[in-house]
Amino acid sequence: MDKYDLLFTGTVRDKNVFLEKIEELLILSDIGPQTTREILVKFQEMNLHQYRVNDFNHFKKQLKDILIDMIPDRGSVLKNDSKTLNVIMIVGVNGTGKTSFAGKLGYYLKNKGEKVLLIPADTYRAGAISQLILLANQAGVETLKTSEGADPASVVFDGIQSARAKKKGVLLIDTAGRLHTYHNLMKELEKIKRVIIKTAPEALLRIALVIDATTGQNGLNQAHYFKESIDISSLSLTKLDGTAKGGIVLTIQKELFIPVEYITFGEKITDLCEYKPEKFIEALLD
Amino acid sequence: MMLGKLSEKLQNILNKIRDKGKITEKDIKQSLREVKLALLEADVHYKVVKDFVTKLEECASQEELSKALTPGQQMVKITHGVLTEILGKTQSKIETDKHIPTVILLVGLQGSGKTTTAAKLALQIKNQGHAPILVAGDKIRPAAIEQLQIMGKKAGVDVFSRGSNENAIQTIKAAEQFAKENKNDVIIIDTAGRLHIDTSLLQEIKEIKELFIVHETLLVLDALMGQDALRVADTFNQEIGIDGYILTKLDGDARGGVTLSIKSITNLPIKFVGVGEKVQDLEPFYPERMSSRILGMGDTLTLIEKIEANYERNELKNIGKKEFREHFDLNDFYEQLKKIKNMGSLEKIFDLMPMQGFGFPKGINQSFEGGEKELGKVEAIICSMTKEEKSEPDIINGSRRRRIARGSGTNVSDVNRLLKQFIKMKKFLKQGPNKQSLALFIR
Repeated sequence: MDKYDLLFTGTVRDKNVFLEKIEELLILSDIGPQTTREILVKFQEMNLHQYRVNDFNHFKKQLKDILIDMIPDRGSVLKNDSKTLNVIMIVGVNGTGKTSFAGKLGYYLKNKGEKVLLIPADTYRAGAISQLILLANQAGVETLKTSEGADPASVVFDGIQSARAKKKGVLLIDTAGRLHTYHNLMKELEKIKRVIIKTAPEALLRIALVIDATTGQNGLNQAHYFKESIDISSLSLTKLDGTAKGGIVLTIQKELFIPVEYITFGEKITDLCEYKPEKFIEALLD
Repeated sequence: MMLGKLSEKLQNILNKIRDKGKITEKDIKQSLREVKLALLEADVHYKVVKDFVTKLEECASQEELSKALTPGQQMVKITHGVLTEILGKTQSKIETDKHIPTVILLVGLQGSGKTTTAAKLALQIKNQGHAPILVAGDKIRPAAIEQLQIMGKKAGVDVFSRGSNENAIQTIKAAEQFAKENKNDVIIIDTAGRLHIDTSLLQEIKEIKELFIVHETLLVLDALMGQDALRVADTFNQEIGIDGYILTKLDGDARGGVTLSIKSITNLPIKFVGVGEKVQDLEPFYPERMSSRILGMGDTLTLIEKIEANYERNELKNIGKKEFREHFDLNDFYEQLKKIKNMGSLEKIFDLMPMQGFGFPKGINQSFEGGEKELGKVEAIICSMTKEEKSEPDIINGSRRRRIARGSGTNVSDVNRLLKQFIKMKKFLKQGPNKQSLALFIR
């Protein structure tokens, strides 16, 4: 039985029950109570009597339209520049899947004809370098050998030199997961960014924040603080193969104007695709 | 999240009923809407919030208006109480003496922190006088075995592992044999991250539990999780049966509403919480602290008590005033520091305060790195200043600084640092403190 059927066993006059069901649907997607409230207000502005009771597709479409409207036009994703070195720094809190994402993105870009170099700049977490090297092998992408405990900024510096020497087009940098509440760790990221800008001023630098689809409202905090610290170019959402909807990214897009670039949905190296807002919202409302 | 946001909102709603004898139904309903919002912002599951608010309504309608607390504070107190009760007692124990060896199985989603937690748990159990062994049961994630080996080394605990050509069950079997010979009395098995909807991987866990005697199956959950946490916990419990939870990444600023959701749906204990990446960073679960955290108050209730004990009502009102902020001099700075000192150790205080909300610049607790010792120096320095210098710190030039340093038995660099901190704080105060935070304390 379609979830929406439940909304219409009563009459449309029972607006509160109806709105509550919509509220539940939105909250459960992790879009957040504030955004949900805004959407409900917009919904209430609609004259519900105009819609036939059985016309639930209409309501789904209305909701979808409201959500799509919410996503700002500006802040679209920067494309790779073929004339220069593209540096993508992958950041995020612990456990979001940055390393896996780096491997998948490497594979994806390689298949698009890019010459990719993967840099394991997570020199902190046990086994992170080995993990990335194994993924790089799977992806058929070159990587740099580094040692645990090395200074990430130095690793990045070496990576840039190597990329130049090998005439690489894209440099993907995996960094250590870090909670945005750690002042000194955010400073470390700022340092890495400075090193990139200083060492490769000609490069197109983008910073990709990786968010786990199961993340709740803290995702907004994460985006806020990472943006404040090093300025985020895009979000990527991981682990969409679970049951979480990842609705928090819509609120992040709306509040912070950071576009979503990729989504991942599994542990295979091929489990990555570009974010398509319409498809994403449809899945969210399902 | 902002300090006392919930309290302040509730205060505004209930302030007008100060003179009435009881909290009215309408007032309760309005307050409950605010509680609902706070809980949803904290990632508590939608249905759980509904049930909780219903329960709260029952409790609140029976309460008499307190004479000591404001209605807003009282509502918060009631909410906090109900929430703490639901979260259960501190049961941060794993029974290790009943069975030899005790077998602990860690399961959870990808990236939840199982491997790190396994090592943390092993260290804790080792420190209790046992001989644990870690088993590398994650055959899926690249370099998972290496990760556990490194973590195990940090914990000073042996790690049993076999290559990835062997499956988890074969490894566990071999591990049990090894543990017997090696005289390990606790076996901690790390497993691969898996989705609660991955039937084949869940099957692996079911098989493990059928073939081996597992005494504790613990679900490792990320405190950053949102609404999906309830479903994950419920599904894992229904499918494989769990005995409790370990919540990770609580060193962040996630409110941790997950805890209320999972407690409500399964009523299983949260045994430990992870509070950092180091192998020592495992703590017991404290329901009252979690309750304050979920409500967005940090340990504010404790702070409320401390502040009430150390500040007169007028003093707090004055801090909010513009004149105070504009004429904030070293005398004021000194007075505030003394109060803070009385309220408890500096570290603890800065820990309790969501910094920005209370008006301190971010990172200022790092300026007071020395804690009590620093404060002693600060006192000495300020005492060595003249009245004029304290009220007009701008005149403190090089020679004055040298004199002050000599007089206080400190270095010029200490004096410089103090003045820098003072300027920082004054600048910040000039921006105007967060009125909402002050409203929390001013009745």
